[in-house]
Amino acid sequence: MKENLEKINKFEWNLPKKSRKEMRVDARVIANQKIMDAIEDAAVQQLTNVACLPGVVNPVVGLPDMHWGYGLPMGAVSAFDDQDGVISAGLCGFDINCGINLIRTNLSSDDVRKEADRLVPSLFKAIPSGVGAKGRLRLSPDDLEEVLKHGINWAVDRGYITKEDQDRTEEMGCMEDADPGKVSDLAKKRGSPQLGTLGAGNHFLEIQEVTHVFDKNAAKSWGIEKPGQVLIMLHCGSRGLGHQIATDYLKIQEQAVKKYNIWLPDSQLACAPVNSKEGQDFFAAMKCAANYSFTNRAVMTKWIREVFERVFSRGWESMDMKTIYAIAHNIVKYEEHKVNGEKRQLYVHRKGATRSFPDTPVIIAGTMGTSSYLMKGSAKAMEISFGSSAHGAGRAMSRHAAIKKFWGDKIKSELLERGIVSQATSPKSLAEEAPLAYKDVESVIDSVHGSGISTKVARMIPIGVIKG
Amino acid sequence: MKYRFIDDLTSDVMFEAYGKDLKEVFENSARALFSVICQIEKIGKTENKIIEVRGRNPGELMFNWLQELISTVDIDMMFFSEFRIVEINEKYLKAEIYGEESDPSKGGTVVKAVTNYKYLFEKTDKGYKTRVSLDI
Repeated sequence: MKENLEKINKFEWNLPKKSRKEMRVDARVIANQKIMDAIEDAAVQQLTNVACLPGVVNPVVGLPDMHWGYGLPMGAVSAFDDQDGVISAGLCGFDINCGINLIRTNLSSDDVRKEADRLVPSLFKAIPSGVGAKGRLRLSPDDLEEVLKHGINWAVDRGYITKEDQDRTEEMGCMEDADPGKVSDLAKKRGSPQLGTLGAGNHFLEIQEVTHVFDKNAAKSWGIEKPGQVLIMLHCGSRGLGHQIATDYLKIQEQAVKKYNIWLPDSQLACAPVNSKEGQDFFAAMKCAANYSFTNRAVMTKWIREVFERVFSRGWESMDMKTIYAIAHNIVKYEEHKVNGEKRQLYVHRKGATRSFPDTPVIIAGTMGTSSYLMKGSAKAMEISFGSSAHGAGRAMSRHAAIKKFWGDKIKSELLERGIVSQATSPKSLAEEAPLAYKDVESVIDSVHGSGISTKVARMIPIGVIKG
Repeated sequence: MKYRFIDDLTSDVMFEAYGKDLKEVFENSARALFSVICQIEKIGKTENKIIEVRGRNPGELMFNWLQELISTVDIDMMFFSEFRIVEINEKYLKAEIYGEESDPSKGGTVVKAVTNYKYLFEKTDKGYKTRVSLDI
């Protein structure tokens, strides 16, 4: 299928709908030549599968970090008409609102490196990490209902974060019309003990140092003054609650596909008409998972601040530890977009993708050993990618293959040689997230910036890494 | 062979499990799953739990069995290392599973879900075979 991609310019490729008879719209890939060479044919094929779904709006977009995923590649965005389209649990992914919080400090990397041997283990202790980790909170059923319905308002009311943090969170940390009544008891049981836990896999907490500032005005407006400044990046999601909601609604929507007679090129693209019960119930339940994830990261924000207070013997406010922004990946949004000059309401499915609206922060995580970027959303993203950008480096190797190829202990010592202190629950979890298991993040950023779907503001490298 | 892992994806884990009968293939697939979730060889058998699962056919029963085990890790905060199917037919199973309180230092990785990708449950000349892709 890849051979059908037509080069539009240095960073955009079009796969015309004539490439496959069932395609209703084109597929578009945003990538430089190096990324394009590395993209798997199967991932391009997956974009064409989505382009066959009812009510899909032109085009289905593959982002520069795209790699094969279940149903749709990770690193892709697809939008659907709000009358004739579908809402899909399959297109959202299992880790609903997996996302990133970026917190700034006024500390210098010199200050932090001196304390890294204390700071990293203290953070590791304060943030329950890894599979099977016990959370520090005991939520009552009423608390959980409130988190699901009102998101981080729950955390603001209880002093975990401030109103200012909330203002710096996508959707203000609360998607409206979330309905806990649409969430199964099993999902609630899984979520209840896990609020305030990091999880495992690709989830992490990093202490980072700014190495470059590209856009001084944007950086300054977000509290980044100069290279050497320390930031904190927290990446995690909605934990077992979100996984269960996705699992539950995949089953429900598999039945809906039969009921509404929807032809699917891949059964993993389970979906339901936007205005059906199966579609709207998923949307209302998905919002609960999104709210839970925003709150999960808010709770950990407080604990991170407390550790910094202890290690540096100062209040967090005096270290200017404010949220730069908190963003979501893996989410469905009801948004207004211009399609052929006409304003339309669309259900935008971002899977491994970041919202990139003009002038809003876009955070792209690298890997443990490489750089991450703070970028700025753009009007160009509104034109070509439904206001979306990449979310990370994108895997180049399966986790299973990475574990076989790399030794966790060796990775830990290699990171240390480069001045990065790391702590993980097991060497295996370092191995599966080994930097070489990912694509080159610089090529992803070159494609994102070059295409204009977001522009570079600052580059960061890790000083300390905590992994589940 | 009880089970083996297969390199297939850039994002996840796939395994095949085998058994001469339903009982064995269900027990072996649970072992494969927990060798991803935790360091199964380090997990004791101090606590046990009875699980009952239903499905419309053996394939769905397997899917639901593995999904039930995944959610049990979160809810009971336990890792498991031994799985005894005490009763099974094509639509129902009852199992006694043994393990201990979860401890991340004996953990592997979070398994988010069983997926439909290349999912397979089939009768073979030698008994049964299942192929499972996990989202991790």
